[in-house]
Amino acid sequence: MAVQREIEMKGIPTVLITVSPEVSAQMRPPRALYPKGFKIGNSVGRPGMRDLQKQVLRDALGLLTQNTRPGDFITTEYPDYGEQYEPPRVKKL
Amino acid sequence: MTISRKCVPFTPFDRELSKSTIAIVTAGGVHLKNQEGFNIADELGDLTYREIPPDVDSSELMVTHHHYDHTDADQDINVVFPIDVLRDLQTEGFIGDIARKHIGYMGYTMQLKAMYEGTAPQIANEIDKGSRADAVILTGG
Repeated sequence: MAVQREIEMKGIPTVLITVSPEVSAQMRPPRALYPKGFKIGNSVGRPGMRDLQKQVLRDALGLLTQNTRPGDFITTEYPDYGEQYEPPRVKKL
Repeated sequence: MTISRKCVPFTPFDRELSKSTIAIVTAGGVHLKNQEGFNIADELGDLTYREIPPDVDSSELMVTHHHYDHTDADQDINVVFPIDVLRDLQTEGFIGDIARKHIGYMGYTMQLKAMYEGTAPQIANEIDKGSRADAVILTGG
């Protein structure tokens, strides 16, 4: 995400919520949360599941105050999300 | 200065979340219904972005994007643009405030150079100059 890197370089900390971690990793995000098994289109959760969405946001924002290593992806699990989806794979050369 | 792709830019966050202002930037093609939609007929991808105000009602927002299934976002925009979620977090005191400006754009583009050299720095500028955000949450689709 070129946009994320540009914002970070302005001196504003950022966190990405991604459901395609292998794709996002190519852009080396400063901080990133991967809610495991969420499908594309559901970055923050399923429609109407406000409590789940709030937890995802709390976890993502929480990365700002943790000592995460820049470029690392933190995977979190939310049993309430239900059916799990596989993220798109990126071919390793 | 060219930055290597191996390098990860990092700005430390030295604040308390409960006193911080948060902005959302989404690549999910989100915009206000009364704004021009993103051009999905353009195969190269639309490089423009939309400014979204903080007091927007989620029913005034919509998605124009042809590279992901946004049925869920059409039902509940918060799944890609969590504005009501942020409001709840503010009410509970988890965050301090919601930024004055948020951004929606189309993450899909074939024009990578134009994105890296044009759109991305422009969006960063909007956030830097106009949002008063202490931190930014980004979502894809």
